[in-house]
Amino acid sequence: MQETSLAYWHVKERKTIGWYPTIDEEKCVGCGLCVVTCSEKRNVFGYDSITKKAVVLYPYNCMVGCDNCRVACLWDAINFPDPNSLKELAREIIDEGIISGELRKKIATDKSLIL
Amino acid sequence: MIKKWHGVDRSKYKWYPIIDYEVCNGCGMCLLTCGNNVFKWDLNRNIPVIANPDNCVLGCTTCAKLCPKDAITFQDDPRKFLRKIILENKIFPQVKKELDERLEKYPNHVVTIEEVSNARN
Repeated sequence: MQETSLAYWHVKERKTIGWYPTIDEEKCVGCGLCVVTCSEKRNVFGYDSITKKAVVLYPYNCMVGCDNCRVACLWDAINFPDPNSLKELAREIIDEGIISGELRKKIATDKSLIL
Repeated sequence: MIKKWHGVDRSKYKWYPIIDYEVCNGCGMCLLTCGNNVFKWDLNRNIPVIANPDNCVLGCTTCAKLCPKDAITFQDDPRKFLRKIILENKIFPQVKKELDERLEKYPNHVVTIEEVSNARN
């Protein structure tokens, strides 16, 4: 199950955004760093303790733009799509005024974010 | 308090976004995306500022990847940077401990590759 709180990325339905890791099982040595680098809230990975491989269990829990698991993998066993596609999406919702609205709301709710 | 990164003392390393204010258009995407309060907002100039650099997760470049103006950079290549940290701190015994704890806490994450790929197809 996808976490319901993670079902949307701003106004976009998360499932319409193809941003999540894929694992090259040939390269994965099962160290588990990706599993524990991903936050407990998102917890994208499962683990196959028989074959000792990480498994992408909840791809759409993945935070849009985050590839910290890929970056941490010493074996280069994790792939993500081209991040430039995300910039296009970001530009779209910025142009629609969605991000400025969310920003105003966020800093109004949490004044500690104001310098 | 500064969090540890898989047992590694975060304060030993410098890793945080650098904003090019010549390019930044103040859209706010970086502040909204960061889950660690690295950014604050300067209301007078209507721009983000790096307020808590030590909160930035080692190797994370999410804000830079979402920046529509490519105004955010980091000091180093993230993979090269983390590789060095992972090797010099020998983090794998700690990672194994964290993995065991994670799987104990979330037993439905103990799976087989086969059952996951079958469920998807």
